[in-house]
Amino acid sequence: MSKHRITLTVNGEVHRLTVKSNELLLNVLRDRLHLTGAKYGCGIAECGACTVLKGDESVMSCLVPAVAADGWELTTAEGLVTADGELNVVQEEFLEKSAVQCGFCTPGMVVASTALLRENPDPTEDEVRDYLRGNFCRCTGYHAIVEAVLAAAVDAQNGGRL
Amino acid sequence: MYLNHLKPENAPHGEEYCTSMIGKNTHRWDGPAKVSGTMEYPSDVYVPGMLYGAVLYSPYAHANIVSVDTSEAEAMGAVCLTYEDVPKTVYNERSVSTPAGTYRDRIILPNKARHVGEPLMAVAAPTEELAYKALHALKVEYEVLPAVYDPEEAMKDGAPQLYDKIFLDEEEITVKNNVGVVRNIYEGDVEEGLRQADRVFEDDYSVGRIYQAQLEPKAAVVKPEVDGSLTVWGTCQSIHACRQLLGFLFQKPLSKINVKKMPFGGGFGSSIHVNTVIPICAALAVKSGKPVKICNTREGDFYSHNKYPTKFHVRLGVTNDGVITAGEVKALVDFGAHQIQPLPYMGCTAGWFASLYKYCGNITFEGTAVYTNKTPCCAMQGYGNPQVNFAIESMIDEICNEMGFDPIEFRLKNIRTIGDEFWAQGPTVRSIIKSSGTEEGLIEGAKKFDFANRGKFEDKTGKIRRGSGVARGFHASGTGGPKPGEVIDYSFATVKINEDGSVDVLTPVTDHGGGTWDAIRKIVAEVLQVPLDLVGLSPADTMNTGYDVCTHATRGTYCGGGAARNAALRLREKLFVMAGEMMDEKPDDLEVVMDPKQHQGCVQVKGYPEKRMTINEIARNAWIWSRGTLVHSESYRQKNAPPCFTVHFVEVEVNMETGVITLPRVLIYGDCGTPINPDLVKGQLVGAFNRGLGYTMYEWLPTDEETGALLNKGLFVDYKTPTAYEMPKVDNLQVELCKCYEPSGPFGAKGIGEAALASVQSAISNAIYNAIGIRFHEIPITPERVLEALKEKEAQA
Repeated sequence: MSKHRITLTVNGEVHRLTVKSNELLLNVLRDRLHLTGAKYGCGIAECGACTVLKGDESVMSCLVPAVAADGWELTTAEGLVTADGELNVVQEEFLEKSAVQCGFCTPGMVVASTALLRENPDPTEDEVRDYLRGNFCRCTGYHAIVEAVLAAAVDAQNGGRL
Repeated sequence: MYLNHLKPENAPHGEEYCTSMIGKNTHRWDGPAKVSGTMEYPSDVYVPGMLYGAVLYSPYAHANIVSVDTSEAEAMGAVCLTYEDVPKTVYNERSVSTPAGTYRDRIILPNKARHVGEPLMAVAAPTEELAYKALHALKVEYEVLPAVYDPEEAMKDGAPQLYDKIFLDEEEITVKNNVGVVRNIYEGDVEEGLRQADRVFEDDYSVGRIYQAQLEPKAAVVKPEVDGSLTVWGTCQSIHACRQLLGFLFQKPLSKINVKKMPFGGGFGSSIHVNTVIPICAALAVKSGKPVKICNTREGDFYSHNKYPTKFHVRLGVTNDGVITAGEVKALVDFGAHQIQPLPYMGCTAGWFASLYKYCGNITFEGTAVYTNKTPCCAMQGYGNPQVNFAIESMIDEICNEMGFDPIEFRLKNIRTIGDEFWAQGPTVRSIIKSSGTEEGLIEGAKKFDFANRGKFEDKTGKIRRGSGVARGFHASGTGGPKPGEVIDYSFATVKINEDGSVDVLTPVTDHGGGTWDAIRKIVAEVLQVPLDLVGLSPADTMNTGYDVCTHATRGTYCGGGAARNAALRLREKLFVMAGEMMDEKPDDLEVVMDPKQHQGCVQVKGYPEKRMTINEIARNAWIWSRGTLVHSESYRQKNAPPCFTVHFVEVEVNMETGVITLPRVLIYGDCGTPINPDLVKGQLVGAFNRGLGYTMYEWLPTDEETGALLNKGLFVDYKTPTAYEMPKVDNLQVELCKCYEPSGPFGAKGIGEAALASVQSAISNAIYNAIGIRFHEIPITPERVLEALKEKEAQA
């Protein structure tokens, strides 16, 4: 199996890694960088638990070969928290609206919601529901999540950090 | 100043958290870690030097393993585990019932496959990649046997037999015609009751096989320690059940097995039993002498646990006055290739049925559970409750339509409510109902929903037909009763006051995400009158906690919280003794109060609050004067299993051209007694509605009878669950919490989790009837089935 040198910037830290052609970005994040925010839920981009940000865009890391991510700037749910522990508005509103239950979908859901609000700062409820249809949550029934995202949109418009 | 720093200005939530928090919304203690992705789940556990395990799943539904060759895989550096390597102890993965009520039929890795996806062999290697390469290098020769997928076919003479012998406790049982369990329960005289009825209703209902679809596939990490003990991290709803099973299988004293309590990515019942990968992982760790991690693939997970599908034949007798005079349910359960306890499943199903209405005391339940060459079935939110509720509440709706009864009044006339006997968790778990929100839900809900003006289907026209339905349900909070029954039920808690007056709570109770741990913290804070942010939750494992049966049966808050409440009450007595000595007062004359200004719990003289010490002062003095730690542990059994009730009102719109159904309006009443955290209770009700929507309209797991494989191949792509998009809009789903107080519960609380699902299915189906006049006797009610039924109705007309 051929090996490749890649550079990944993850949550502001630059990592130079040697990866195999068949290595997936999700596995690199989890097994090599020991980040737990991106989760394995299905491995075929059906559930969204592995969602990370590439710049401001949401990406399902289980489908991306690590070699294809060379040069990417990535943010995981861990990276949405500032160095002094301050959560972003989406994370804050997930707590405020009780949008967290088992929490396994939560990091991916938070990342996807952040991507949505960076792309569309003032979404309608239908736009939130539509955007998040690729992120499964078996616990909450989604209502608290949708409410949290709509509230986070207002917070961000009022100067909150997204 | 040392250990005297607990000040309001240092509190993360300030004075806000320094009053009673029972019944108020508070942030989950585990929320920050979960939203920031730093919470560690079993699949996140990393132990230095660990191997990665992978499991060989059977490609055949029924086959003997003739020979295996592991040499190539071993040459690659993999540790291989086969039938030859594992203990031959026959076990049942589920141990919440007494041994006398537990059938045993499986070993860790069998030499015979009984369903597609059955784990047959396993490998472990230093990398996941190598593990999967080694898995593909295993050579297995199979003798393929005929398989049977339909329970009725399976019971016929000459059908392929899955087993010759199984065990019930220590007794060897011969399996005939694949019948795993027969359970018949009789009370009163059904035939006499039916004779007294003016009308007898009789019909069949069927609920399909679905998948729990918890987001974290089952996972385990097992580390062999140098002293021969095992440390285990896994997807466990019960750490003690996991420890017991591993002790039994590997013949180790329980003191040599330590299972760590962890959060896990959803359970819904699928980890009440010890997940199949955990003993496999332990066997690999024992063989290799190294830590091993196994995470199920999603495909493997689909084949490891499903929800019980059941067919019902129901008879209800009704008088012209609207009294149900008798009820009879015959159930046929297709539980798949292994018993994960269809015996209590049927006992509970009988109980849910019997405890819904009074039936003038004339009740018959006859249940047969059958082996088929399919994925083993286990609990999934309700344990027979949503299944039989669909049958009974559909028939109640039919009765009301046929006989002209008001569906609210008819139910109120026949329900079991305060003062009535309740035996929902099976015939041996009996108690008397002490609180009920059913009446509020039915009466207030009907008004709020304008249910009386739903109209009749006969008067509805056009492409989109709108209709409303109601159904009610409940679940039991735990499985306790005045006498021990067939289900083991007790819990444990330790509460400890630290040297600065803050408090640690230690509980073996797991939290699937419903907020059980928050409820337990709040209950302790309330008893000791300590600000909530000063109450910590200790890391727990099987070595530092007493036994708790499991977070199942909607018992976390009621039973686990009950144990914590009692431990805190006893600790409070000890606190009064110590404070009494320090204050020169009698313990009986003291009380605790919370002081928001000092951000402290305080002990003061009753009626003379000027004389007080903060708990910080007491604990700090106890430390300085070497008086010891204030701590109390309690093993506690709740002697009731109070029902938590739900009422669902649902409005549907049926598209007559496409068969697609949408839900413009939903109103849910939930009765959990005192809601310890109302938002989390609502979250249970909304989440369950989502799963019920999937159960009723989308989800099913048909088997490909050529291959025995699931038609969806274990992929979400072809297993539709309702997403954010299919849910009713946020404002269109309203949740009300009943004003109820359960006298036997901690601060009036009982459970809610499984009750939340019970009546969703029947309410949706009843609404569909009101819209289009078609009674569906089977779920899921997919658009295809709606169109088919519409065509049939048209042809008949």
